[in-house]
Amino acid sequence: MLEIVGLTVAYGPVIALQDVSMSIPHGSITAVLGANGAGKTTLVRTISGLVRPRTGSVRLDHTEISRLAPEEIARLGIAHVPEGRGVLAELTVEENLRLGGLWRKDPTDRRRALAEAYELFAPLAGRRHLPASTLSGGERQMLSIARALVARPRVLLLDEPSLGLAGRVLGQIMARIKHLVRERGLTVLLIEQNARSALSIADEAVVLSLGRVAAADRARRLAGEEGLRHAYLGF
Amino acid sequence: MGRFVVLTLNGLTEGAIYAAMALALVMIWRATRVVNFAQGAMAMFTTYLALFALERGAPYWAAFIVALLCGLLLGAVVERVLVRPVESAPPLNVVILTLGVLLVLEALAPMLFGGQIRSFPAAFSIVGMRVGSLAIPFSPFDLFTLGSVLGLMVILLLLFQKTDLGLRMRAAAFNAEVSRLLGIRVGRMLTLGWALASMVGALAGVLIAPSLLLYPTYMDQVLVFGFTGAILGGLDSPPGAVVGGLAIGFALSYVGGYFGSDLETVGALVILVAVLMIRPRGLFAWQSQRQV
Amino acid sequence: MSLSALRWPPFVSPTLGRHLAMALGAAVFLLLVSSQIGAYDDYNLAAIALFAIATAGLTVLTGVNGQLSLGHGALMAIGAYTTSLLLRGRELPLMLVLLASVTTAALIGAVFGVAAARLRGPYLAGATLALALGLPQIPTRYKGVFGGEEGLTVSLPAPPNWLGVDFPRERWLAWIAIAAALATMVLLANVLQSSVGRRFKAVRDHEAAAALCGIDVAQTQVQAFVLSSGCAGLAGSLFAYWSGVTAPGGFSIPLSLQLLSAVVIGGLGTLAGAVWGSIVLVLLPTFTGGMASNLNLPSSVGNNLPLAIYGAVLVLAMLVFPYGIHGGLGRLLGLVRARWGQTSTNHKGVVDWDDPAPGG
Repeated sequence: MLEIVGLTVAYGPVIALQDVSMSIPHGSITAVLGANGAGKTTLVRTISGLVRPRTGSVRLDHTEISRLAPEEIARLGIAHVPEGRGVLAELTVEENLRLGGLWRKDPTDRRRALAEAYELFAPLAGRRHLPASTLSGGERQMLSIARALVARPRVLLLDEPSLGLAGRVLGQIMARIKHLVRERGLTVLLIEQNARSALSIADEAVVLSLGRVAAADRARRLAGEEGLRHAYLGF
Repeated sequence: MGRFVVLTLNGLTEGAIYAAMALALVMIWRATRVVNFAQGAMAMFTTYLALFALERGAPYWAAFIVALLCGLLLGAVVERVLVRPVESAPPLNVVILTLGVLLVLEALAPMLFGGQIRSFPAAFSIVGMRVGSLAIPFSPFDLFTLGSVLGLMVILLLLFQKTDLGLRMRAAAFNAEVSRLLGIRVGRMLTLGWALASMVGALAGVLIAPSLLLYPTYMDQVLVFGFTGAILGGLDSPPGAVVGGLAIGFALSYVGGYFGSDLETVGALVILVAVLMIRPRGLFAWQSQRQV
Repeated sequence: MSLSALRWPPFVSPTLGRHLAMALGAAVFLLLVSSQIGAYDDYNLAAIALFAIATAGLTVLTGVNGQLSLGHGALMAIGAYTTSLLLRGRELPLMLVLLASVTTAALIGAVFGVAAARLRGPYLAGATLALALGLPQIPTRYKGVFGGEEGLTVSLPAPPNWLGVDFPRERWLAWIAIAAALATMVLLANVLQSSVGRRFKAVRDHEAAAALCGIDVAQTQVQAFVLSSGCAGLAGSLFAYWSGVTAPGGFSIPLSLQLLSAVVIGGLGTLAGAVWGSIVLVLLPTFTGGMASNLNLPSSVGNNLPLAIYGAVLVLAMLVFPYGIHGGLGRLLGLVRARWGQTSTNHKGVVDWDDPAPGG
C-alpha cells in the first residue's frame, strides 16, 4: 500500500501541495484529478523522489521513502512515467526498453519482460533498432509506458498517459494495465486531466484543487456527484 | 621520401594524441556539461607518477598501468569531491574550478617530483623503421602510440555501445532525471565517466611524454590542441572528437612543415575559426540547436 | 516612452551624475592614498587599476553579455604592442598613445567578434583560447617589427613639470592608471544602465526571446566584443608602460585565464566584482610570494607555493563562494541587516529561494 500523509510541497514561496493525505490500496487504480496547477504532477514527482517535500511522509508498505533518492525509489518498484518527454530520444527503442529493467537482477526475466513489451506494444517491435527520436508523439508515449512495465513495478505512476495517444490505443494499454492490476496486484496512480475517461477505469479517485484534497471517494460514486463534477472536473 | 609523406605520418601520430585528449574532453562534456581544463594537468600528474614508479625500479609496463589506474582514480576523485558540489552553481564556476585544479596540480608536481625537465622512456624504439632499403619516418613507438589510442577507442566504443553499463552511462549523460526514474544511479555513472575519460587523458600523457619531455606544463599545449580538435569535431560527438583531433594533428604538421613551426598555432587558429564560421557547433553537430 | 528616454541618447543613462560623483570621490581618495605609500605600493596600485580595466571589460562581455572569452590576454597584447610600436624610438603624448591602443584593440576585437558571432559557450571559449595561443606567435615570427621573444621596451611616462622634479614616476603611472580605470568604470556603468546594457543582458538571458523582441543578437554581441576589446586595449597599453617590456611571454594563456578567474572570483557580472577580482589578482601572488620566501622552504616548494595557493583559492572560492566576493559581501550585508531587524534586500545574483532540490 502506498500511503501519503500530511504532504506539503513548496517551490520557494509558492505552495504546490498543502497537507495532502491519501492511501492507495494494493491492486487498484486510483485516479488523481484536477485542473491545471492543482498539484497533480507535483504529487507524482514527490512520490518518485524528484521533489523533496517540506513536511509529511510517503510510505510504501510502511517504509518511509520520501527522503530517498529517485533511483532508490525506482529500485523499490515504483515506476514513474513522466508527462511528455520521458523518452531518451538519442537511444534506440530497444535501448530505451532495456533501460527500464536494468536495475533488476534476473537477466532471463529481463529478456522475458522485453519480449512481453514488444508483444503488447506491437508498433514498437518493428522499430526496435531505430532511434527513439524517429517515433511519433503517440509512439513515444507508448514506449515510455512499455519501458515502465519492463521493470515489473509494484506501483505505476502514470502522468497524463492520454496525451498524444489515440483513444483506441489508449484503451488497449489501459486494458492491459487493468489486467496487471487484477492478476499481479499492480498498484496504479493515474494522473489525468480528462476526468471522464479516468473515472471510467479507476477504482478510487481523488480530486485535487489548488494543492489540497477537495474530494476522495470510490471512482463510481465521484462520477455520480453532479455538483463536484461541475465544480472541479468540468463535465 | 617525400616531404608530404613525412609530414603526414608525423601529423598522424601527433593527431592520435590530440584525438585521445579530445575524446577525453568530449566524454566529460557529454556526461556533465563541463569542459575539463584540468585534463592536461591531470595527465601530466599521472605521467609523473609513472616516472616515480620507474625510478623505484618498476618495469615500463607496470609504470604504464600505474599511469592509467591513477588516471582512473584521479578522474573519479575530482568529479566526486570537487565538481559534484558545484553542479548547480553558475556554469562558469566549474570552468574556474577546473582551472584551479590545473594550477594546483602544476604547482604540486614540481614540489613532489622536482621542477627540472625530465626525460621519459618510450616502450619501443623511436628510430624510424626500414622497409627493405627504404627508411620511413615512422618508429615502432609511433606505431604503438597509434595502436594503443585506437585500441582504447575500440574498447570504449564496445563498452558504450554493447554493454548494460555503457547503456546506463549514456542514459545518465543524455537525461539525468529520466535515468534516475529508471533506477540508474546517475551519480556513479558520472563519476565513472570522469574516471574513464581521465584514463584516456593519462594514456595520452604517457604516450607524448617521450617526445615532449616531462615538465609541469608539458601537457598544456596538448590540452589546448585537444580542445581545439574537440570543438572542431563538435563537443557532443565522440567520433567528431577523434576526427577533429586527427585533423588538428595534420594541420599543425603541414603548417609547421610548409610555413615554419612558429606559425603552427596561428594556422590552427585560422582553421578553427574558419570551420566554426561555417559550422558553429563543429563538423559533427547533427542535433539542431535547441533555442527555446 | 519615459521622459528620460526622450531626453538622453541611448548610451547615456540618467545615473551619469551619480557615477561621476562616485568616481570623483574615489579619485580623490586614491590619489591621497597613493601619495602616502612607497614606490613599490604605487606600482601595485597601478597594476590593480590597469587589471581592473581589463576585468571590467571582460565582465561586460562574459558576465553581462554571456560570451565566454578565454583569450582576453591576446586583446591586451594588441594594446600593449600598439603602444610599444608607437613609442619605438620616439615620444608621443600619452593620451594619443592610449587612444590609438584602444582603437586598434577595438578594431581587431570587432573583426574577431564578427567572425565569432555565431559561436556559443564552449565553442566561443575554444576559439578565443586559440586566439590567445596563436596571437603571441606572430611577434616571434616577425622579429624585425615586434622584437621577437625579447620584445620591445617602453619607459615609464615622465610626470609633468608642475608636479616637481622629484615626483616618482611610479606614482605618476598609478595616477594615470587610476584615472583611466575610473573613466572606464563610469563609461561602462553608464552603458550597462542604458538601453545598450539592457540589450546585452537580454541576449545573455534568453537569446531567442531577445531576438523575438527585435534585438539584433549578432550586432549586440559584436558591440559587447568591441567594448570589451577596447577596455583590454587600454589595459594592455598601460600594462606596456607598467611592465617596461612588451614580449609574447607576457601575454600567454595564463594571463587570459587569470583575467577570467578574477572576474568570477570577484563576482560575475558586476563592475564592483571586477575591481575585487583585480585586487585579488595582483595582491594574492604578492602576498603569497612574500610568505613563501619568509618560510625558508626548499626552492622547489617555495617557488611553486604561490601558484598552488592561487589554484587552491580558485577551487575553494567556487566551492564556498559560488557568487564571488561581491556576492559573498552582499550576502553578509544581508545577514547583518536581518540581524538588525531590517528586511534584507535580496542581492542580485544570490539565489536564496529554496527550490525543492531533486533527491540525492
